[in-house]
Amino acid sequence: MEEKPTPLLDVWYQWRYPMIFLTLFVLAVGVTNSTIEGNWQKLFDSPRNIQTFFSESLWPPDWSVVDPQAYPVCEKPEAFDFMCSTAWIGTLETLKIAFVATVFGMIISYPISILAAENISPGWVSYPARIFLAAFRSLPSILWAILFVIMVGLGPMAGILAMTLYTVGYLGKLQYEAIEGVAKPQLDASRAMGHGWLERSFGVILPESANNLISQAIFMFEYNFRHGTVIGIVGAGGIGYYINLYLKFLQYDKVFAYVIIIFIVVIVIDLLSKFVRSFFRDDKKMRKHPWWTIVLPSGLTIKLMKRKP
Amino acid sequence: MAENDIVQCHDLAIGYAKDDVLLSGINLTLKPGEIVAINGASGIGKTTLLRTFAGLLDPIKGQVNIFGKPKGNRGEIGYIPQRLGLIRHASVNHNVMLGAKAGHTSAWFPFSRVCKIHALEAIESVGLKHKLRTPIRKLSGGQQRRVAVARTLAQKPRLILADEFLAELDEETLNIVMQKVLTYVKENNAIMILVEHDFERAMQMADRLFTAVGDKLIEIGEGIVPPNSTIVG
Repeated sequence: MEEKPTPLLDVWYQWRYPMIFLTLFVLAVGVTNSTIEGNWQKLFDSPRNIQTFFSESLWPPDWSVVDPQAYPVCEKPEAFDFMCSTAWIGTLETLKIAFVATVFGMIISYPISILAAENISPGWVSYPARIFLAAFRSLPSILWAILFVIMVGLGPMAGILAMTLYTVGYLGKLQYEAIEGVAKPQLDASRAMGHGWLERSFGVILPESANNLISQAIFMFEYNFRHGTVIGIVGAGGIGYYINLYLKFLQYDKVFAYVIIIFIVVIVIDLLSKFVRSFFRDDKKMRKHPWWTIVLPSGLTIKLMKRKP
Repeated sequence: MAENDIVQCHDLAIGYAKDDVLLSGINLTLKPGEIVAINGASGIGKTTLLRTFAGLLDPIKGQVNIFGKPKGNRGEIGYIPQRLGLIRHASVNHNVMLGAKAGHTSAWFPFSRVCKIHALEAIESVGLKHKLRTPIRKLSGGQQRRVAVARTLAQKPRLILADEFLAELDEETLNIVMQKVLTYVKENNAIMILVEHDFERAMQMADRLFTAVGDKLIEIGEGIVPPNSTIVG
């Protein structure tokens, strides 16, 4: 039977999305109100507090963190003496931890995520695999770090182990979602041909979802770098160790300099990700980006690419 | 004829649920070297029938027998879906090798030198040797179709299931590809079931022609006129 249009139904269809968002917003404000027990004054005072903190403690950032350390004596040429600084050493160590953890995490998580994907594996395999990944993910990386600091002692090894386990849980989830997005005809053809699990996993699914997997791996690398700064705080190595040190001495201007460095590295990783993913783009008109475009904003890159014949 | 040589279905009903049967009461026996075309309106169940023969869907009722087994052995079925099922980010060679491996290796050790030879032969036969390392996403629609055909030829299956596999091809390439597949079927005593909208082309290729009307699959023979066609003369 055909549904009769009513004015109320018309209004609902026209305004349903704004109404849903408005409802959610009002709900969120209500929950906040009950949580803070109606004390909104704190929120209104916050700009003044942050302004005072910013002007007195954070600004200007203390760039002495890029000066070479007093000990051990720097043997690099003067132009490169920043490579003996805590900022350089810490950033490099965090990058190394993030890189190793991402690579190991990716290798371990891929077979598990194949098992967890519902379009590849039966329910009795996929659900335990999902629970397994959720278990790794449910413990924050900082807790893994504390655990490994206790097990293997202070230093980057604890950081690598903590990050790897967290990566397995987090990346595994992203990967099985990407695998579940692999189109049906590809899997149908593979099934009809009689491919085994090994061929389907590595010959069909891996190349077919490569774009997403690479994008996720780069995201994970960036995530691990950002969190590498956090786990450093518990003694698992990297830039976080120095941030923690200066936080203890209340030298916020130095901490602010480290934060700016982290921000710059994150942006560079993001631009690199754009460059790498351009190899896997479907759009034939969009040519592969030259390497130097990683330093340009994406809007400008697209304009330049269009201009060239 | 031995059961291991034929493709058979008995009182087959196909669909996606018991209360959503698309075609029913299908009885077919296909002998080696036979090509069967299926014609009919969109959404009537032609692709679902192919998917059932490919072992991707269980029959609602009845049985399918592919060379003596309900789903055939590894590498015996070559399936060309309507949307081809090619790995878009992988090269032509990789895609065709997938077929070759299915046909010439075991599932737990899918590596053999023979595969490379079969894959290269198949790629050459569809005229894409110069695109060996090109990713599928960089090929035109017609070229992609040729890769899908090459994948099946490299597999050397005993049963080919092809869903509109000649669409988007220009006349010259169409004739070449069609001849390759027909020759393969006849020379290797394979069986082919193809879904084809173009009635004339279906007549040209197939030994037997079926059309789906309502929920029945009717064989078109003497005196039976396909729906929506005109008798001339």
